[in-house]
Amino acid sequence: MRLARPYSGVFRGGATARTGPHALPLARIKKIMKRSAGDGSGGDGAGARMISGEAPVVFSRACELFVAELTRAAWAATLDGKRRTVHREDVAQAVRDTDLFDFLVDVVKDDAGHEHGGDGGVGAGAGEGEGRAPACDDGDGVL
Amino acid sequence: MSESVDTPESGGGAKEQERFLPIANIGRIMRRGVPENGKIAKDAKESIQECVSEFISFMTSEASDKCMKEKRKTINGDDLIWSMGTLGFEDYVEPLKLYLKLYREMEGDTSKGSQSGKKEVVLNGQPGSSFNGM
Repeated sequence: MRLARPYSGVFRGGATARTGPHALPLARIKKIMKRSAGDGSGGDGAGARMISGEAPVVFSRACELFVAELTRAAWAATLDGKRRTVHREDVAQAVRDTDLFDFLVDVVKDDAGHEHGGDGGVGAGAGEGEGRAPACDDGDGVL
Repeated sequence: MSESVDTPESGGGAKEQERFLPIANIGRIMRRGVPENGKIAKDAKESIQECVSEFISFMTSEASDKCMKEKRKTINGDDLIWSMGTLGFEDYVEPLKLYLKLYREMEGDTSKGSQSGKKEVVLNGQPGSSFNGM
């Protein structure tokens, strides 16, 4: 068991081989950011925004917080349904139940479109909702 | 465990996956949010993958708009933190400010402005916990 040291709760030595020292790959985060960082689609000559090196680092931590929070909310929906396996519908329920996740309404809408319509897509096009068909539906689909 | 998603019906394959963070990483973080006896279906992980990308896009757009209004070309960490505070994620602001501060201090110790792959930063510990290590 690790003993607490200065900063040990935040930074710790030792890189993992796979993603480097961060829990989420910075290069991938940066790619996703670039899709929304004003990629010249605005007609006013704003042009693409540059992204500082620290920005993906902030997101790597923020996304951890976000995933954990959304997962906890989804788990509450799972328990509500008296189940022990979190499914896509539980995530959708969590989004419906939490005002903070309103921007995800279109993202979690399934192909049948039976979710309540929300505001139009707020993100810059990442929430198409039809590019990811649900995985196999046989049994639990649990990995 | 490889990073790629092994669903043959994923259509675009590698290109599609670049829109999302790796499902293995997402799954690991998700596991912290459910108790020991809980399970997470693959479709839930995929759903959260999509949500995370939307979260990144949403925050980045807001930060980008701020930079444009202030006539700045570069989105930095402070802009992102500001966006999150503005869009309802106030709880993230303080932990992220602290995280960014520590990161900048560490970056200041090594060569300025370079992004070497050997940064000694590891995200660990429970999400949402305060940085008691200080």
